Amino acid sequence: MTTVGIPQALLYYQYYPMWKTFFQHLGAQVVTSPPTTRGTVTSGSARVVAETCLPVKVFCGHVISLVGKCDYVFVPSIRSIERDAYNCSKFLGLPDVVKAVVPECPPLLDPDIDISKEGKRGFYLAIYALARRFTWNPLKVKEAAEAAWQCHMRFQSQTREEGITLSCALSRMEDGMPSDEEGVNPSSATIALIGHPYVLYDEYINHRFLQRLRQLGAQVVTPEMAQIQELDRGVTRLIGKPYWTYEDEVTGAGGHYLDSQVDGVIAIIAFGCGPDSVMIDVVKRYAQRVSKPFMAITIDEHTAEAGLVTRLEAFMDMLRRRQGWEGKA
Amino acid sequence: MKVAMPHMGHIYVPLRTLFREVGVEMVVPPLNSRRTLTLGAKHSPEFVCIPFKLTLGNFIEALEMGADTLVMAAGPGLCRFGYYAKIQERILRDQGYHFEMVTTELFESKLMGVANLVKRLSNGAPTQKVLAAIRFGLAKLGTLDELERVLHQVRATEAEKGSADQVFQQALAAIDGADSRAALKEIKNRYLMKLQQVERDGETEPVVVGITGEFYVVLEPFSNMDLERELGRLGAEVRRTTFVSEWMKFSLFLNAFGLSEKDRIHQAAAPYLRRDVGGDGWESVGDIILHSHDYDGLIHVAPFTCGPEIIAQNIFPAIKTRIPVLTVICDEQMGRAGMLTRLEAFVELLRRRRARKGLAVAALVP
Repeated sequence: MTTVGIPQALLYYQYYPMWKTFFQHLGAQVVTSPPTTRGTVTSGSARVVAETCLPVKVFCGHVISLVGKCDYVFVPSIRSIERDAYNCSKFLGLPDVVKAVVPECPPLLDPDIDISKEGKRGFYLAIYALARRFTWNPLKVKEAAEAAWQCHMRFQSQTREEGITLSCALSRMEDGMPSDEEGVNPSSATIALIGHPYVLYDEYINHRFLQRLRQLGAQVVTPEMAQIQELDRGVTRLIGKPYWTYEDEVTGAGGHYLDSQVDGVIAIIAFGCGPDSVMIDVVKRYAQRVSKPFMAITIDEHTAEAGLVTRLEAFMDMLRRRQGWEGKA
Repeated sequence: MKVAMPHMGHIYVPLRTLFREVGVEMVVPPLNSRRTLTLGAKHSPEFVCIPFKLTLGNFIEALEMGADTLVMAAGPGLCRFGYYAKIQERILRDQGYHFEMVTTELFESKLMGVANLVKRLSNGAPTQKVLAAIRFGLAKLGTLDELERVLHQVRATEAEKGSADQVFQQALAAIDGADSRAALKEIKNRYLMKLQQVERDGETEPVVVGITGEFYVVLEPFSNMDLERELGRLGAEVRRTTFVSEWMKFSLFLNAFGLSEKDRIHQAAAPYLRRDVGGDGWESVGDIILHSHDYDGLIHVAPFTCGPEIIAQNIFPAIKTRIPVLTVICDEQMGRAGMLTRLEAFVELLRRRRARKGLAVAALVP
């Protein structure tokens, strides 16, 4: 049986159930790389130039850990998933970079997804071309794609309707078990955590930020818990038309949560992230305008845990005092 | 109305002409300086690239001089550049400046888009006049680029360093002042001659160094710390892969007919990079392969945190047959001495490489 390897990094967090269903329906076996460790980051960083953003370094580390464990590695080039909004360069050139820096890698499955330029037809053709390695039967491809899409919809609705995080929904889908984060105690403050899923849910690179936040008694809301329309409105409010794919995860969520009832907003961004470097500025300016507590944390492979914890605690203390003052007033 | 645009090389000369011809006053902010960069960097997001910071600095300096209409290219592209105008507008408004921001989608709208923009700024000058003005502006741009090409050659072998640059500065002033196409032609011939007459010395066949990379930092000497001039001083002949006039020719006219100057570069890059990654990353990879025989070495300039160029850099080591490549990253933490040392070492490496190649050929031929 053919084995397809999926690196547990970047878009894994929002699309894994869909990808897995698709390949399984085509009769392939799916393996994922183990969660990020120090080794993953080190081996990935050693291959690419230092300036490359942390998520891509991590991704390369995951590809390296898949070498010898599968027949193909799935590295799509997701160019755009809506009209006139493109992904950042690192997503566009991901397969080429992987080929260049991990030459020992098994053959890549690297479809180009470009809805803006190719339209729906191009999208279907790309999927079909991808599936040709497994089957000649177009009906089987259609069936697999439909099953994958259903699975993706189910996955998305879980986070949106039940208010759980992507990682929680992922572990529920994988093991059928609710993870420990469900049934959170009533808390002192609600914090919106914004950022891309591969930064928010990779516990190694963000030093278990989400859990720390919860331990400090915060209830956490994340971008994927908001409705799509709310996120779109957030983008419109802050910047007008979206320019980048996945902009709703930062700008949209920022715009939405800064105008909502949450007590504070924390953004986690990766050092060297092109889109976020400018978008976070927009969110920050908006936070100032509506005077909502806001903190942006930039992480890279050197982030010292203690510094991060100090900033987080200071932020929570600040919120507590603020609540006290507002209570008195 | 006082119009201002950011600097990029000497593109302000044709732009000033263009606006003068249609009767619009243009404020040209001081050329990029440390002050421009400091002002820009102070108000910019920390990790944004240097073109953003410098162009923002230009806008601030122009607003200080009384500009009230800022013109900036924008629109969906694949890198941060398309977003500059929106973010810069916000930053400047937060600083309390009053102005109108006019953006043009240069890549989409072609010649007529630019013509319409100029028409709008000039309060409805006749289209005929606008087109003539654009044509005259482009002629000046072409002349500048032609002179600059010669300058690159002369610099490498001039006897007294800096004399070719003096001639070029005079030419720049003369071109700026030229008011008719006939005068422009006369100026061009005069200064081409003058450049050729600069006293030469030194190597007869200097090493050839190509310059490629991100559009803005290739073209704006302040952002790359006068890379071309320093290379010339070291006795290397510079071949720049990008000229504004050529780029304009294609983006304003020929692309509309489905001609792309870049097809050849993209084809060359295809074995290593199959996709457009935004900005100029694809071209950087292509240039290295395309020029592996006619250049001795290549300098790749990129702004710090530039996504497309990072992709290109990651791909360079995988390219098999290639000439030496030196990547120079540009940001506000510039150290001239450090860069000079690297350039000296690089040029020295190319010289030795060429000498060795010469020996190898001599050994083969009895």
